[in-house]
Amino acid sequence: MGGIKQICGKELARVFKDVKMMFSVFFLPVIIMIAVMSLVSNMSLKAEQDVEEHVPVLYVENAPDGFDGFLKQAEIAYTLYPVEDREMVKESILNGDADLWIEFPANFQEAVSDYQTGDEVVQVKTYYNPSEEYSRAAYNMISTGVLEMYRQKLLAQRVDDMQKLTVFTVNSDNPDMVIQDEQKAGGKVLGTMLPYFVTILLFAGAMGIGTDMVAGEKERGTMASLLVSPIKRSSIVLGKVFALMIISGVSSVVYVAAMVIFMPQMLGGSSGEDLGISLTLGAGQIAMLAALLVAIAFLYSAVIVLVSVFAKTVKEASSYVMPMYMLVLVLGITTMFTTSTPKDWFYMIPVYNTSLALQGILTQEVTGVQYGMTLGVTLALGAVLIGVIAKAFESEKVMAI
Amino acid sequence: MIEIRNLTKIYKLNKKQMKESKTTNPLKTAVDDLSLRAVPGEIYGLLGPNGAGKTTTLRCISTIIRPTKGEIYVAGHEVQKEPEQVREKIGFLTGDIKLDPQFSVDYMFDFFGKLHHVPQDKLRARKEELFDYFEIRDFAHKKIKELSTGMGQKAAIAVCLVHDPDIVIFDEPTNGLDVVTARGVTDYLKKLKNEGKLVIISTHIMSEAEKICDRIGVIIDGQKVAEGRLHEILQETGTGDLEDAFFELYRERKGEAL
Repeated sequence: MGGIKQICGKELARVFKDVKMMFSVFFLPVIIMIAVMSLVSNMSLKAEQDVEEHVPVLYVENAPDGFDGFLKQAEIAYTLYPVEDREMVKESILNGDADLWIEFPANFQEAVSDYQTGDEVVQVKTYYNPSEEYSRAAYNMISTGVLEMYRQKLLAQRVDDMQKLTVFTVNSDNPDMVIQDEQKAGGKVLGTMLPYFVTILLFAGAMGIGTDMVAGEKERGTMASLLVSPIKRSSIVLGKVFALMIISGVSSVVYVAAMVIFMPQMLGGSSGEDLGISLTLGAGQIAMLAALLVAIAFLYSAVIVLVSVFAKTVKEASSYVMPMYMLVLVLGITTMFTTSTPKDWFYMIPVYNTSLALQGILTQEVTGVQYGMTLGVTLALGAVLIGVIAKAFESEKVMAI
Repeated sequence: MIEIRNLTKIYKLNKKQMKESKTTNPLKTAVDDLSLRAVPGEIYGLLGPNGAGKTTTLRCISTIIRPTKGEIYVAGHEVQKEPEQVREKIGFLTGDIKLDPQFSVDYMFDFFGKLHHVPQDKLRARKEELFDYFEIRDFAHKKIKELSTGMGQKAAIAVCLVHDPDIVIFDEPTNGLDVVTARGVTDYLKKLKNEGKLVIISTHIMSEAEKICDRIGVIIDGQKVAEGRLHEILQETGTGDLEDAFFELYRERKGEAL
């Protein structure tokens, strides 16, 4: 199979000897991704801080004696206003000028202090606007937090022994409550994300260059010079597919490395460990992952070159490859939301099986047979596609010569 | 040696092509039962008007397209059975074949040299000779896209001859070249012939055929209507020059006065 090395070398030189091309294929997407992610996380962090620093504007109706003092004691910053006009308060909450309206019943204090068994329990009502960040934060803090503390305080005045009311607690002092394999847990989190990212990176990295590989040569009229060389059509095909595999492999390594290095920036300061995605891989797992990733890169490159062969122009190839990308993307996403154990025959479904197997390797749940099936199906389909491409190279119509 | 036995090439036209050529027949016979023989040490010229089937014939010889019927032997290898061996023996160039614009002439020369398994020292010697002859040296490092049409054509010729082929097939060799470069190319073809190589060209330029071809095959509508040395064709048609001879043959074929 002479010529594969030369063809592959030329395709690689096209990318790696051209600074502009290198920049646009490997670095520009990374820079854009990091910039966008950093911007988004910084903005959301700023918004969060802003909400935290905001002093809630509270309207309290029929505030019981000592409520103001209780709030002060609880060290909560707030601006409190008495309710004079209910409609005005409602309006203020609606347009975001006020954050929370607490309505104590008029007889609150008497009802609480004079409570007899069988009396109706008084109700405190709170009103807020969930569309307003400040209002939602005030509601979360006061309605579910501060008022509960206030209830406990009043309850303590009514009941001598608070312990009596607490039949049992759940995990109030149990630091060992989580029993799990740390390795597997890390794999689970990463396993839901990794197949998705690998899919995007391997396919997207190869897409731009791959569509040009054959359709571009046809368009520029340079394909015929290759076709009169004394090498087999299949060598031309393999040379191009291997080059594309290397390019997509390199681009995904660059992307993943950039993601790991710039993770703190992109997540606004939190590291992978905080998110529970720290993971140590065994040598076996790494070997299985590596073999599978090579097989996936082979299949994806074959798919993209196939599209490029049947297209007359690069533009046409780009539009044909989009639905393929969508399909691969959807199959990648499905594993993110699958909770049931996949059946054995799922590992016969191309593309989907690679996502399952990637996840399975990380969670250590994939069996040897399932892994073997995935690898076999992926390589076999890739080989079939190479055969189809080589056949298409023989066709005068397809090659437009 | 090139031997074509009863070559027929029929194209299937799609609807758009049928509309363009104003026909309802989806089959177009480009070459019709053509046979010829060209031997080492000669320049054989396929002469004919546009659309006569010259380029199709040369493309069949070069294994780019497959004959519908018939056999073609190139240096003893049949084009459909041993295409790689055929391609090993030939250098093929047409105006349609272009070099990758992103690479330099130097890179393309080395690339095709390696594809043709030319050893490193021979590759260097070939580069020396061809770059000197076609005066490429000054722009060898430039990318093909930066070259003028003439420079690009010269580069393409040099690259197609990298492996010192025994058989050189040129489709319209001087098409688009300025008069000086065209002369350089035709002189080089003569040089190749003198070295004992077989050169087969297609042309519609009568003076070119007259000057450089040892034997000429006249093709009209995919069929060979005359073949021989210039004086033989002139004698056969009773004319004084090739242009008159061609029109005589054309009139006979088409059955109409011109």
